[in-house]
Amino acid sequence: MRKLTAALVLLTVLAMASAQTEIRWFVGLGAGSDEPQFEAQQAIVDAYNASQNDIRLVLEIVENTQANDILATQIAAGNAPDIVGPVGIRGRSNFPGAWRDLSDLIAAADYDLSDFDPALVDFYKMEGQGQIGLPFAVFPSFITYNKTLFDEAGAAYPPSSYGDPYVSADGEVLPWNLDTLRDLAMFLTVDANGNDATMDAFDPNAVIQWGFMVQMTDLRGALTLFGPGNFVDADGNAVIPEHWATGAQWIHDAMWKDYFWPNGPYAASDLITWSPFQSGNLAMAQTHLWYQTCCMFDLQDEWGVAPMPAAFDGSITAKLHADTFVITEASRNPEAAFDVLTYLLSPEIAPQLTTIYGGMPARLSLQGDYLEGMFAQAWPNRDVDIAVIADSLLYPDSPNHEEGMPANRQAQDLYIAFDQRLQNTPAFDVAGELEALRAELQLLFDSAR
Amino acid sequence: MDYVTEIQSSLASERGRSKRLSRAELREARWGYAFIGLWLVGFLAFYLLPMAASLVFSFLDLDLLNPSRSTFVGLENWRRLLFEDPLVWQSLRVTFVFAAISLPIGMVSALFLAVLLNSADLIGRNLFRTLFYAPTMVPVVAGILIWSGVLNPATGWINQLIQWATGLQVANPNGIRWLDDARIIYLTYTMIGIWGIGNAILYNLAALQGVPSELYEAAKIDGASWFRRLRSIMLPMISPVIFYNLVLSFVGLMQYFQVPYVLNGGNGYPEGTTFFYLIHFYRQSFQFLDMGYGSAIAWLLFVIALAITATLFATAKHWVYYAGERR
Repeated sequence: MRKLTAALVLLTVLAMASAQTEIRWFVGLGAGSDEPQFEAQQAIVDAYNASQNDIRLVLEIVENTQANDILATQIAAGNAPDIVGPVGIRGRSNFPGAWRDLSDLIAAADYDLSDFDPALVDFYKMEGQGQIGLPFAVFPSFITYNKTLFDEAGAAYPPSSYGDPYVSADGEVLPWNLDTLRDLAMFLTVDANGNDATMDAFDPNAVIQWGFMVQMTDLRGALTLFGPGNFVDADGNAVIPEHWATGAQWIHDAMWKDYFWPNGPYAASDLITWSPFQSGNLAMAQTHLWYQTCCMFDLQDEWGVAPMPAAFDGSITAKLHADTFVITEASRNPEAAFDVLTYLLSPEIAPQLTTIYGGMPARLSLQGDYLEGMFAQAWPNRDVDIAVIADSLLYPDSPNHEEGMPANRQAQDLYIAFDQRLQNTPAFDVAGELEALRAELQLLFDSAR
Repeated sequence: MDYVTEIQSSLASERGRSKRLSRAELREARWGYAFIGLWLVGFLAFYLLPMAASLVFSFLDLDLLNPSRSTFVGLENWRRLLFEDPLVWQSLRVTFVFAAISLPIGMVSALFLAVLLNSADLIGRNLFRTLFYAPTMVPVVAGILIWSGVLNPATGWINQLIQWATGLQVANPNGIRWLDDARIIYLTYTMIGIWGIGNAILYNLAALQGVPSELYEAAKIDGASWFRRLRSIMLPMISPVIFYNLVLSFVGLMQYFQVPYVLNGGNGYPEGTTFFYLIHFYRQSFQFLDMGYGSAIAWLLFVIALAITATLFATAKHWVYYAGERR
């Protein structure tokens, strides 16, 4: 009798489980694929599953560098997930036509959009694809600097707000721009003998500490330090913006002439590791807000944040990441997926997720003192200049450095290969190679027309 | 009945028996089919059908993101493959040049190490056998990432070791660029490959242990030198395993992918020297999502590999010795 009862209970449970609609949530194209974030995301999934019986949410986290290929294969195999996110601009651009237009679902659910900046809602309205996402989180970028290394070198910290000049240790007042950044970075670059990169005795073959880099990004991200741009113009032709050409030379010099930016061999070494600023061997880095909650908890040194320096034309650009959740076109249960999506974006859950991912919530009602709370939780006892981070939102890059291009993946391949040569070749004809890159891109864009 | 008639009668009786199986033989046959039946199902479902499907795909404009919108394009993918895409020939050239360098070095190294590990004079033979086989058990990607650290020009062990041993200043960003210098990149990749030849060593070792020791002893008594014994006894006796290793290594090299993909994302760095054929296939199919064209690329590889493997088999009768073989 006991066995019969147990079998009946088991059958009932199985029947209930099979009656549920399964919704698969794919994480990896943006934030969320770092190990410390797994448990918190799973907790949100568990809470959702416990809150109702109609839908069973399943979390699938894949490694960020492999996420594009895995998702493409899943879609091709007819095994697409229902929800993908958080996903950035690049992730969305890499899968044109793969995301569902949410307009009808928004209308059917009478979903309230009044808590979002309308401009940000429109940001996810793609030509020919419709409203593919709803605002979730933004990740401004800024300078993160290692106070311990500054103190060791006897250097004054960078300014603490936009518009302030840099005041050196000698009391000299300098504009906070790329020239000042370069000089300061060279002073903070140190070889094994303790010489810094401004000294004649400095040995570039034995560098153990670097002054500055734009980290964990690609060539377009690095070049946005000199102003926003793209490799394609409004007519669909390949271009190398002039300020990017200047910037590419500046970066190559920084690696191979001034030595303050880790060149290819050093960047691939265990002196820098996969998370450069966290290595403790990098004095300044341009980082996005997500970095503070994913990849620098091992750093024991004191650190602070500072505004982005002005580029050569005097303008300031703080490149921006903006993430959302999308529903795949191939989802067999878009209504159920939309139910989950609105749960993830709800005022109760969104702040939990943005804390996990290190983003600022897109909901206006949640922004208030959100950053203070996030840093109090992630970095208790650290005095972080929150205003700098919030103000960085005022200098976004437009066009965004992850904006799509014709034949997007192929185009990325071309400039990534260029970047690899730039980082690894001491005698690199930057201007000539840029022209070759432009010609290659033009061929590609023409073939994609 | 004369002798010839007796033999003919015996053969006829044998043939008669082969047509009608006994109950035990039938049972044995049924079990045999049952065992290979599972494999056959797997072969059909996971090899033959996908292969047939990919042949069909090669005549379609098949976007991975929108398979339902596929259109029939006839021989367009094949025309592009054979006449328009320079990367096909570049990647084939890269693959064959690397194979020409890597294959002999890998084959000879595996045989040489197997001979050493088979030597009765080697102290700690079992330990060395374990050590040489151990890398095979390390996940390939992990192994490649470790190698990228070991080969780092500034901080890698190899340059540090060379600098320490020779006094040459090579452990710096301008030192020996193992993974960045197009002139030595194939040697570097071959070195990484040799690290994982444990299986080939194992096959050779097993073959060496199967050579009857009486043959060596008889040759020794006849005054044959070590080299003569190697050439006239050992190599012929283990030639089936050498042939097996050759075919497997060749097919493996045609599918060379993991090392260049992990090290540089398959972009061909440096100077296109690591743009292998399978990298081209993978990028077209799974990165650029053009599965129709990717299928055509895959089929060309199949045809080339099949032709060369068939050629190798054709040459086998001239140099591979099968003991007890009926010709």
